[in-house]
This record gives sequence, C-alpha cells and structure tokens, in this order.
Amino acid sequence: MSAPATVAVDSLAKAFGSVRALDGVSLRVGAGEIYGLLGPNGAGKTTLIRSLIGLIRADAGTVTVLGHRLPDRAVLAEVGYMPQSPALYADLTVEENVRFFAAIHGLGGRPAGLLVAEALELVALAERRRSVVVTLSGGMRQRLSLACALVHQPRLLLLDEPTVGVDPQLRVELWQRFAQMSARGTTIIVSSHVMDEAERCGRLGLIRFGRMLAEGTAAELRRRAGVERLEDAFLALAEAPG
Amino acid sequence: MSPRRTGAVALRILQQFRHDRRTLVLLFVAPIVILGLFYFLIRGGTSVPAVDVVNLDHGPVGAGIASRLASSTQITVALTGEAQAESDLTSDRVAAYVVLPPGLSARATGGGTIAPQVHLEGTQPGLTQPVLSALNQAGAGVLTSLGAATGAHLPSLEPRITYLHGGPGLDTLDYFGGAFVGLVVFFLVFVVTIIAFLRERSQGTLERLMASPLRRADIVAGYMVGFMVVAALQAVEVALFTLYALHVHNQGDVALVVVMTLLMALVAVNLGVLLSMFATTEFQAVQFIPLAIIPQVLLSGIIFPVTSEPGWLQVVSKLLPLTYGVDGLRDVMLKGSGLTYGPLLVDLAVVAAFAVALVAAATATLRQRAS
Repeated sequence: MSAPATVAVDSLAKAFGSVRALDGVSLRVGAGEIYGLLGPNGAGKTTLIRSLIGLIRADAGTVTVLGHRLPDRAVLAEVGYMPQSPALYADLTVEENVRFFAAIHGLGGRPAGLLVAEALELVALAERRRSVVVTLSGGMRQRLSLACALVHQPRLLLLDEPTVGVDPQLRVELWQRFAQMSARGTTIIVSSHVMDEAERCGRLGLIRFGRMLAEGTAAELRRRAGVERLEDAFLALAEAPG
Repeated sequence: MSPRRTGAVALRILQQFRHDRRTLVLLFVAPIVILGLFYFLIRGGTSVPAVDVVNLDHGPVGAGIASRLASSTQITVALTGEAQAESDLTSDRVAAYVVLPPGLSARATGGGTIAPQVHLEGTQPGLTQPVLSALNQAGAGVLTSLGAATGAHLPSLEPRITYLHGGPGLDTLDYFGGAFVGLVVFFLVFVVTIIAFLRERSQGTLERLMASPLRRADIVAGYMVGFMVVAALQAVEVALFTLYALHVHNQGDVALVVVMTLLMALVAVNLGVLLSMFATTEFQAVQFIPLAIIPQVLLSGIIFPVTSEPGWLQVVSKLLPLTYGVDGLRDVMLKGSGLTYGPLLVDLAVVAAFAVALVAAATATLRQRAS
C-alpha cells in the first residue's frame, strides 16, 4: 500500500489469562474506507477495536493510527468510538449527552451546537432531544450512542456492532450515512455479524480465534470460497485450515 | 409457597455469595474489626485522662488527697507547679489540673468546707467525669480517715470547678455538634461520589471518556469541582442549621466552620473516587462504608478521645483525615480558636494535604485501571 494507511496493525497479540483474544492480527485500512470486521462472538473483534484507541495495551505488535504510533493520546481527538453497549448518561437528556461528548472533544459554543444538531439529525433523534435517556427504547439509545461517537466529526470512526437493536429501515439509512461520510474521507471500521451489513463494507476481514482468516471485498470472499452467499463463504473460510 | 422455588432462590443467593468472595470476606471480617476496635477503645485504652496536681497545702490533707489522686486508676497524675499546670492545660497535654489551696489541712481539721480548685479543659466531656470522680473519692477517703482519727465533725468537700472552654452550660449536643457537622457532610459526600463514579464505570461511559482526549486528571478534577459545588451548598446548609436552628454552641467564626467542613468534603470526594476503583458493583461500593467510614468514625475522636486510645491506635488515628477535621471543628466551635491558633492551622493544613494526596492517588489509580 503506497499511501500511508489510516490504520496499520502489525502482528497484534493480546491474551486475557489463558484466552488469546488476539493472536497475531495484521491489518491496513486506508483513508475513506469502510472496513468490516466479521466474526462470531468472542472472535476478538471488540478487543481489536478497543486496541485501536489504546483502551487495550497489546502484549505484542504495533498499532499506528493516523500516523501516530499508539499509545498516543494526541490521536484521540480525531477518533470516534462507539462501544458495543450504549454507554450513555441515563439521567441526562439526549441533547445533554451529545453536547457533553462534543465538549470533552474541546468543542463549545455555537459550532458545537450546530454539530450536536447535525449528529442528532443523522440518527433521527432531533425530535427527542429533550427526552431523558431512561425513557428511550433500546434502539434509540443505540442511535444516541452513535451520535455521541461522531459528533466531533472524527477522521476515524470505530463502531462496535452499531446497528444492534436498530430497526431495518433506520439501519439502511444509517448505512447510507456511513457511505456519505466515507465519501467525504472519514475512515470507518465497523464490527458486525450481520451479513447484509457486511455487503455494504468496502473490504471485510474475517476474524476467528483472534486470527485474521481472510480479507477482501465481499465478492472476493465469495469467489474464493466458491459459494453464492457471504454467510456460506464465512463458514467455508472459517473451516479451511490455516 | 413452594419449597422447591423458595429453595431455588435461597440456593441462588448462596451461589452468588460463593462468586463474590469479597462480600463474604467482608461479612466475616468487618464485624471482627469493628468489635475489636470497640474493645480496644473501651477496655484496651488508657482511657484515663492526664491530670496535673498542684499541692499548695502544707498539711496532711493536701498530701493525702494528692497521693490518693496519684494512686487512682481513673486518672494519671503528675505533681507540678501552678504555672506548669496552666500551660499543660492550655496546650491540651492534660484534661484538667487540680489545685489544693494553702490552708486546706487547717480548714479540714477545723471541720469547715474544703474547696480544691478543678480547672477542666472542658471540650471532652468523657474526660471530665473521671477527674471529678477521682477527686471526690480521694477527698472522701482522706476526710473520712481524718474524721475517724479526730472524732470531730466531718468537713465537707466542695470542689470549685472552672472550665477553660465550654462549661456546665453545654450539653452533649454542644460537644458532639461540631464533630457531627463535619461527619455528616463527609459521610454523605463520600457515599454519593463513590456511587456516582462507579456508575460511570458500570454504565460504560468511563471507557468512552478514556477513549476521548480527556486526561485522567481532567476526570478526577472534574468530579472534584462538580461535587464540591453541591458539597459547598450542603456544608453551608448543615452548618447554619446546626448553629441557628439547633442552637449548638459555637464559640468561633462560622466561616471557619464552613471552611473546615468544605475541606472535609473535598477529602470525601477524592476518597470516593479513589475507592470506587476498587469496587466493581454498587453493592461492593456500599461495602466500603463499614470498612472506610465506621473505623474512621470510631478512631477520629468524635466519641472516644484520641488521647485515651492505646498508643498504637493513636498512631492509626493520626493517619486518618477525619481525626483532623473533627479536631479542627472542635477547636473552632468549643475553644473559639481562630487562624492564629497553631493546632487549628495544623488541622486545616493536614486535611487539605489529605485532599491533595487523594487527588493524586485517584488519578494514578485511574491510570492503572485503564490499561
């Protein structure tokens, strides 16, 4: 890869006790790409995403994000992270939550107000902006969590299963937004185990037992496995030796 | 009611205990610690106030009372001059001094009233009682044997009691009120902070903060400032209520009472943030109350004077921030001390130092926890 990658991971390893969550993962993601991490529960997707923002200190290997070798707090201002379970302040309103996340990224005043409104518009929560989080449904919390992750317009967006509990119609809309953001140069790394979402990613990485089993576009993976459906390709590649 | 279903619930509770070793340890260790402390404070302690005795009488009665006082188990006695005794009292080295005035023996043999002077420090009611009781016993003993020897009319003993601080006009609440102002604020602020910070962790937002440009020190400092706004209002409310609604005796400056209480709240906030890192559930956080608060309350001198603890417990007491807060509040409210009083400045400085040390510790622990 000639252009410097937005994210470069080399031989990353991390064990929790005797469980090898990551076992020598390497990965390159370029600017503006949507990269999907696919794999069953416990494959290491979340550990990989968390190590991309320095929340996990790896046992071996290196992570470079936007030209900064981690750990480096300087990069955090340019990264947005949406954890798997919606981590929100349940006793604050929708708007107060998003505004808080804007503020801790150093945004205030009128520009922050515009960004907050934009983020809430994006996740279709503008009308609920005065609702307290405890009154929101699971899917709404998920969307709010996404709004909190992208309000500061990061160059790299890390989404850990962002559409769990989101209804199909909004899921389609969200993916259209991801595509728009990607077109404007935002790099998105998204983990999922929903195959129709995987089809929308530029490239996919199949992870299992902490190892990268295969990488490529959805079409490439299907062709390589010699099957029609991505789901079958995933099962075939997961069972293939090596 | 079905025995099987009841049994299932009971079994599940026991299983949960088996997985939460810490709760189990706490249930069995905390009572030993707390009851043990009571034992040392009440029985193991040298709960005998130090008393200076100044004997200005040249006869047998003065000498008799002095020697009986010296052998009393209720107080420890040193024979001194009046100037020394006075300075011991003002510098808190003794709880009281007794002056046996000249001519005591003459009055006693004449069958009159003898009036030893008792100068009480007065801020610790627990120390006042043993002094008076020891003096009464000693006096009665001497006078009875005097009466038996001479067969004369038994003279009566009427100690003249003066208080350096406080006095007979103060009741129990006046003595404890000052300490309680600090304790109430300290305790509530601690509980609210530890739960709030724990929730930050359990709801996953702490992870998000870690993934943001916020520094650990920003988080700890933010908590401190945020909670201090509420704690400040609370401290003012509690101080004003205690002083003006409950009419608890206050000799000193109200502003100093509030400042001391605020410093204690500051310690409580940082202690809450620090200890919340060692708890994974709100259940475990609440368990810090018997561990971090009850022993502190027992050892801080609120109920049992620090000076009457066994030596090694006094060392522990001196490592606890609440001890200094309580002492400072009593200095202000009972002694009317101001910023010119050295020991009060020490108390203020030590409590402030605890607050700073706990901020540093909380920040450092947050760093370790994150990685």
